[in-house]
Parts: sequence; structure tokens; C-alpha cells
Amino acid sequence: MELLMTTLVSGAVLGALYALMASGLSLVWTTLGVFNFAHGALMMIGAFVAWTVSEPLGLGLWVGMIAGVGAAALLGVIIEFLLVRPFYGRPNMLLITVMTTLAAMIIMEKAAQIIWGARLKQLPRLIDGDVSFFGAVFSAHEALIVLIAPMILIALWAFATKTATGRSLRAVGQNQDAAALLGINVPLTFALAFGLGAGLAGLTGVLLGGIRFVTPSLGVEPLVKAMIVVIFGGLGSLGATVGAAFVIGMAEAFLVLFVGLYWTPFMLFFGLIIVLVFRPNGLFGRA
Amino acid sequence: MTNVLNIEGIEAAYGNVTVLRGINLHVGQGESIGLFGPNGHGKTTLLRVISGLMKPTAGKVTFDGVDITAARPPVIVSKGLVQSQQGNTLFGDMGVAETLQMAAFTKPARAQAKQSLAQVYGLFPRLAERGPQKAKTLSGGERQMLSIGAALMCAPRLLLLDEPTLGLSPKLKEELAVALKEISASVPVVVVEQDVELLLSLADRLYLIEHGEVEREIGQDDAPDHQEIMEMYFGEHAG
Repeated sequence: MELLMTTLVSGAVLGALYALMASGLSLVWTTLGVFNFAHGALMMIGAFVAWTVSEPLGLGLWVGMIAGVGAAALLGVIIEFLLVRPFYGRPNMLLITVMTTLAAMIIMEKAAQIIWGARLKQLPRLIDGDVSFFGAVFSAHEALIVLIAPMILIALWAFATKTATGRSLRAVGQNQDAAALLGINVPLTFALAFGLGAGLAGLTGVLLGGIRFVTPSLGVEPLVKAMIVVIFGGLGSLGATVGAAFVIGMAEAFLVLFVGLYWTPFMLFFGLIIVLVFRPNGLFGRA
Repeated sequence: MTNVLNIEGIEAAYGNVTVLRGINLHVGQGESIGLFGPNGHGKTTLLRVISGLMKPTAGKVTFDGVDITAARPPVIVSKGLVQSQQGNTLFGDMGVAETLQMAAFTKPARAQAKQSLAQVYGLFPRLAERGPQKAKTLSGGERQMLSIGAALMCAPRLLLLDEPTLGLSPKLKEELAVALKEISASVPVVVVEQDVELLLSLADRLYLIEHGEVEREIGQDDAPDHQEIMEMYFGEHAG
């Protein structure tokens, strides 16, 4: 019972983290049709900036979090402007932007190494202490992530469906010409989507920084996970991405329990391939 | 009195392929006009140039005396020059009611969104019934209604309609023609259509566009008969 609870809780924590990691990637993909390989590096930048502001500058974690999210969002807008915008409308835009965002990732990782060095850093946790849940003990920080993630995702959903700006984001993702003909500023919407996606990456990075060590390669594994989640969900709506995140989080937690840490990534990718064979549009994608 | 829309010597090309070779036409105050002619001769391209979706290589477009040749689509829409595209699905994953609500995006459009919505639902009661349904699940006729409805939500002062009855059954076409007549009574339109008889019932003047040029201008008093129209489309010995 205790083991089952511990596994379920750990699955929920992973699912919440994956949902946060993937939501920004999914937002950029559905709006711009760009698969942002710099998404993980933006998480890392968010974590480092938050660390600098909260630790050496001593302004506290909450100020650090705002700074980290802001820095990542700003960098996202810059990446969109310099490395994505020049290639809109090209027939091979998807491949070009894979290369340019990959370049952005490498630049940011090397820059982080120069600026912050190779020594491991850790962000303070949002709250200290442990929480016990039906015999399963986990940190209060992780409990907070499980609570915060759905709130952020619901806020994102409300923004996308209930506000004029959010609707224009979805409209641009589905039909750029038609959106422009209604008076929507398409380039501005692109920058907004990229900035918002990057901000979400930054926030994820700050939350990750309380669990893992902050290093220049902090974002590598989360990027891969986010991609699995987005593809698994069917490259579609936010709901599908969140659903896929929790399916994968739970699957990973139980796989670690049954086949061990070593075989888990293999089994995850194997599962992804099986799902894509039978459902080429992803788990929640429509045929 | 200045013309509402003035098009002078517009030339446009896709890559090396020249599509428009110096189009001149105008829309006077309170006037509706029709554009017709064979497919692939530049009618849709002309509308794309007017709406700012495509930059012309030469020429000038003025709306209400203001040069809008280099303006971007959102600027043009907020001036009241609105286009409903050909065979357009708009936003497949968005519901009918949500699409119409969103379509009132510019400031002037938002100010009169309520009246516009009442007008759209009055013209197309079917759209009111389809409220939450996603656009991609609509029939061809309903999509066309949604596309025109969305354009009406933009508070148009001149409405560009690109083949509004394309691919519709005769019965649906008749239904839509009635709605189009009602629309053209309240807001001037520029309609691209293959059906010249329908055009004559909507517009004050017609332009025949061929090979990217205005081939002929037709007023209501020198309206061609069926035989003449066939000749315009297919050459001298048709029919």
C-alpha cells in the first residue's frame, strides 16, 4: 500500500513537471509550427537567472522566480526575432528552424558555462519540509508543484479560450491568412506565443532547480521528455499534451518500480513507438 | 467626390509568373461591383493585393483617398476594407460562435460586435443553430456562411467576397444569393463570381478580368445576354 502510494505520488509529480515542460513547447508548435529545440535551454537559463537573483544577490526565491521567468521570456522573443522570423513562409521552414533553434540551445548552454561556471548550483525550495500522504512521504516542494502545475495550465487554457488575445493565438495557429484578414497582427502573435512558451520554460526551470542541480545541461533531459509528451499527445491541443504528460509520468513511475531505472527510458520509447504504430496521430490525436 | 476604392496599374507576380498586368478599376461611393472571368486569370490575386496579403510589384491601391498599397492586412481591416476568402474553412478547430465572437477583433469591430452578430444570425439562422460546432465539421455551404459572417463581424465599409457560391448546390446557391443581396443593400461589396447573372443582380457595374487585365467594363444598361457571356468565357464560336 505504502509502495503503491509512493509510486502514484511520484507519478503525479513527474506528470505535473512534464505537463509544465511540454505546455510551452506545445504552445509554440501549435501557433508557429516550429519545434523549438531551445526549449530545454530556456528552462536552464530561467533556473540560473533565478539562482543569481535569489542567492548571490540575496533577493529571495520569489523575486528570483520572476526574474528567471522574465529572462527566459525575453530570450524567447529574441530567439524568435533573430532565428525564426527570417524563415517564415519558406517551404522548408520546419527543418531550418530545427537547426536555428538547435543553434540557440548550444549558444545558451555554452554561454551559461562561461557565465555561471561548471560548479553545481541548487535553488532553494519553494517551501521546506516534507509532506506525508497515506504513508507516502515526499517533499513539500514537490507537493507544491503538483498543486501549481494544474493552476498554471488552467490559467493557460482560460487565456487561450476566454480572452481575445488567446483566441487570436489559436486562430493564427490554424489559418494565418484568415487571421490577418480579421485584423490580427500575425508577426506580433508569433512573438507573443514564443515569449509565452519561453516564459513557461523558465518557470519550469525554476521549479526543477529546487529538485535537481542547476547545470548548463539542466534542460537536456526535460527537452527530450517534453518532445515525447508533445508527440505522444498528438501535436495538438493543450489538453492532449497535459493528458499525455500524466500518462507518461505515471508510466515512468511504475516502470521504475517494476523494471528499474536502467530500463525505464527504453520502455518509454518502446511504448511511444507502439502507440505511434497504432495511432499515428498520437494517443489523443484525431485521425 | 473621391472613389471609395481606386486601383491604378496594379501588377503582381508569384515568383517569375506575372499574374496581374496593370489592373485599373474603381469603386464609387455607395457602389457595388462584380469581377468575373476565367479561373486563373488573377481575380483572387487582385483581392489578395487589395487586402494586403500580397505586395504588388507596381501600382497603387487607395481606400477612401488613403494609399494602402504598402499597408499590412490588420491596418487595412481596421479601416473597414474586409475580405472573405474563397472556399475558406477559417479556423477548423474553433466553434462557430467563438469564431464570430473573435472575428470582431479590431477596435471599430468590437464597438459594434453586438449589432453585427445580430445581423449575421439574422442573415444565416443556421449559424445560430451551429453555435458550439467546430468549423471543420460544417458543410460547404455553412462554411461559406461562416466565412461571410466573420467578415461582417469586422465592421466592413466595403466587403470583398471571393466566389461566395463556389461549389455549392443550386438550392444552397439560391439561399446564399438572397443573403448576398441583403448584405449588398447595407454595405457596398466587391464580388468575384463566375455566375454573371448573379453578379448583375448584386452589382452596379462588372469588370471582366482576363490575362491579368481588365478586358471589359460592363454597366447595368449594356448587360450582356447569355450568348455574349458564353463568348466572353469561351471565345467567339461558343454556345
